[in-house]
Amino acid sequence: MKWRQHEKQKHQGEQQAGDGQSSPASRRFKKLPFKGVWTSHWNGRPPGGVLLGFGLLTALLMGVPIFYVIWRAMFAGADRWENLMDGRLLDLLWNTGTLMVAVTGATLVLGVSLAWLVSRTDLPGRRMWQWLLAVPLVIPPYVGAAAYIIVAGPVGWLAGFFDPGEYPLDIYSFAGVFFVLTIFTFPYVFLITMASLRKMNRNYEEVARSQGLSTSQIFWKVNVPFLRPAMGAGAILVSLYVLSDFGAIAMMRYTTFTAAIYYQMGSYDNLSATVLSVVLIALTLVVLWIESRTRKKQKYYQTANSFMPPDTLALGKWKLPALMYVIGVFFFAVVLPMIVLVYWSSIGIAEGALDSDFWEYTWNSILVSGMAALICMVLAVPVIYLKSRYPSPITSFIDKLSYSGYALPGVIVALGIIYFFNEYIPALYNTYYLIAIAFVVRFLPQAMQSGEASLSLVSPRIDEAARSLGQPPWKAMFKVVLPSILPGVLAGGALVFVSAIKELPATLLLRPPGFDTLAVRIWVDTNEAFYHLAAPAALIIIIISLIPLRFLLKKY
Amino acid sequence: MRKFNRMVPATMAAVMVTLAACGEEEQNGVEENGGDEAQSEGEEVEEDEDNDDGEAVDEAEHDGELTVYSARNETFVDQWLESFEEDTGIEVNALHADDNAVNLIQEESENVQADMFISNDIGALEFLRMEGLLQGYEPENVDSIGEEYRAEDDSWVALSARTRAFMYNKDIVDEEDVPNNIADLANDEYEGEFAITRGANGSMIAHVSALRQEWGDEETKEWLGDISENAGAILSGHSDIRDVVGQGEFAFGLVNNYYYHQQLEEPDNNNVGIVYPDQGEGEMGAVLNAAGIGMIEGAPNEENAQVFMDWALEEENQREFSYDSLEVPINPDIEPYDEAASIDDYETHDMPLRELGEVWEDTRELIEDSDMDLEIR
Repeated sequence: MKWRQHEKQKHQGEQQAGDGQSSPASRRFKKLPFKGVWTSHWNGRPPGGVLLGFGLLTALLMGVPIFYVIWRAMFAGADRWENLMDGRLLDLLWNTGTLMVAVTGATLVLGVSLAWLVSRTDLPGRRMWQWLLAVPLVIPPYVGAAAYIIVAGPVGWLAGFFDPGEYPLDIYSFAGVFFVLTIFTFPYVFLITMASLRKMNRNYEEVARSQGLSTSQIFWKVNVPFLRPAMGAGAILVSLYVLSDFGAIAMMRYTTFTAAIYYQMGSYDNLSATVLSVVLIALTLVVLWIESRTRKKQKYYQTANSFMPPDTLALGKWKLPALMYVIGVFFFAVVLPMIVLVYWSSIGIAEGALDSDFWEYTWNSILVSGMAALICMVLAVPVIYLKSRYPSPITSFIDKLSYSGYALPGVIVALGIIYFFNEYIPALYNTYYLIAIAFVVRFLPQAMQSGEASLSLVSPRIDEAARSLGQPPWKAMFKVVLPSILPGVLAGGALVFVSAIKELPATLLLRPPGFDTLAVRIWVDTNEAFYHLAAPAALIIIIISLIPLRFLLKKY
Repeated sequence: MRKFNRMVPATMAAVMVTLAACGEEEQNGVEENGGDEAQSEGEEVEEDEDNDDGEAVDEAEHDGELTVYSARNETFVDQWLESFEEDTGIEVNALHADDNAVNLIQEESENVQADMFISNDIGALEFLRMEGLLQGYEPENVDSIGEEYRAEDDSWVALSARTRAFMYNKDIVDEEDVPNNIADLANDEYEGEFAITRGANGSMIAHVSALRQEWGDEETKEWLGDISENAGAILSGHSDIRDVVGQGEFAFGLVNNYYYHQQLEEPDNNNVGIVYPDQGEGEMGAVLNAAGIGMIEGAPNEENAQVFMDWALEEENQREFSYDSLEVPINPDIEPYDEAASIDDYETHDMPLRELGEVWEDTRELIEDSDMDLEIR
């Protein structure tokens, strides 16, 4: 009976809002005779048309590239599939799978250990490390790869110390790709873990301690389970990144699915590319499935009123090794690449690399990335809210679809977008808006992950209270939940911006003629070994990205 | 690090001195008369005609835009497109899309964006023409290019020639240790010694087409699998091969010959030599290909595309097109770049370039079916 009242109030609320946008879906459902079925689908609490309509629209936008790919793959014919099945596919699966697992594992170890050291121990300068260790996030992995090729490649700086032919390091190997991707993606895990650690309530640990648990027992029994959602979120970001990276992998002469697809497109063969993409999509679904399986039964909430910041652990004799470890990671992830970049930038700037073209590329980069970040923040909130508060097959469908673009390689997202706009919205075709849209499709999951992490700490009781006062779901979301998860949402937007500004393959394919971004210039100039032109562009990406990173860390 | 693209303008400047008078007139013309860009008598005649017809567009600056898709290395065409802008006042929007350019042109056939396509490979141009994606136009001075180097309907015109050859690092190997025919690349003795491009590279596709004609499909397929296994590295483009051979990472590589000339221009890592394969009696000769331009069917800026075609075929612009990458001009009246071997200096394979278009798709399929890597490694 109570729920029926809610229903009525909800509809009144919607009409009071008087928006013409009340989605057709909601109107249709009101008229349907089996409203009861609809209501019971949602366990008696349907989310309301505005919210659901918005979520479905988002899912539709995110789904376009996938449908394009599957649509095309259907016409590929059996012989394409057979061609790929004999041998190549297994090689690609092995290459891609091993790299993904290895990098994800290593980033979890690095990210969690570093996050724990800098937020929970008396590590010297830990405040400073908290943000210094996030800096690799703004170094695009393909820039990192180029830097390491310059330093450790077969004719690099290091090789100069050896006799010809004696140089032992082979950077164009699995180990090389693994190292570069790990060192430049661990901040995904680091940041999200640190955010959770900081919000961790001391009460739990005090209870554990009062029961006689040691520090390491507390870490495994209290901290780790609590960190589980954050680690999962970070691991997903890293896994999906490895699946979708093109630039670094191509520079290191390694081949994963994404790279293979890019090369297939280069050989003018969309069909084989789409077949490969379908396999890659399946791989992504497996990753998402594993992640959701392992965290299914774990939900942790804490209430704000009894919050006490956690206390600091003394490292004691471990202080020096811990500090060395942190410095070592920072050196390889930031200092060394920066030395290379500054060295080549100084040469480039002396030769006049900072001309008007350069500033145009910079502006273009900020324009498309900023646009994408803004759209992502707007789209992410309803989707994560629906998922968390109105769990049902429909919301989980929306959620899954919203993840799709991130694991699709930029190439395929770009081609899906090219196809769709070329066919149905030619006016927007070949404009830079398409780049922003591709970024949204690719990076919305980052905004969602970040928002979700915040939302998982807000008890549903709070918005249930709002709903019981007669607010429709979208209003409850807007007025009550949004303010408390805003930091997470903004952090998500910042993450999107940082990812977008360094995105490469989709930008390469979607840039309209005459429109280049910094990322495109870095790619082109690096391939031509014009390091003096690529380095200033890489530096400016890093500097621009530092601003949202600062903000992101403060708000997290 | 690489001074090559700085050297080219310098070389160009030297060449231009010979044209100084003409050039000065031209510049003054542009500045004072707002785009009366007469450079040759032929063009002046055309201008007069235009005036008579009262075609304001041609008479004043050819304003507006031109969208160019280019599969060539950006550094080879940037200068060239800039001088087109200066000469005509038409703003060029260039998309340097590598091999994806062909893909895009096919994808956009219902919503055409590009006006011109600059290609590295005649096979791709003729393929597009056969797909109905290029349109015929008879540019002025098109007769300066031999008929075998342009489309039946002149929708594409080749401007510069290149030959497949082995570039080697003299610090690492002697000339006699470089294979002197293409088939030998499959021999065990060269295992891990050399670099090639991946199978999808435009020049590689054309090369394989020639081999198919010479050897038949089975043998070609086998060879592809063998060299793929034998190669020390499979890279995405020839610039990469030029780098790794010049730096001594690999002893030699299969490239287009102008990459050798480019490497000679480098301030360092320039101790390289070249071997044109299959020169012996009764052997097939080195494989030839060309770069050129094609006009897109339904080009949104058709008029400007025509201006571009006419401009590109002016002899000094033909010259610049070749010189910017150190290729050999197709037009026999234009003297090649000093160091460059003329096409007559070595034996070349006799397959007409146009035929590359017909077999282009089959060849690509053959490469895919073979054990040749499509990816880099």
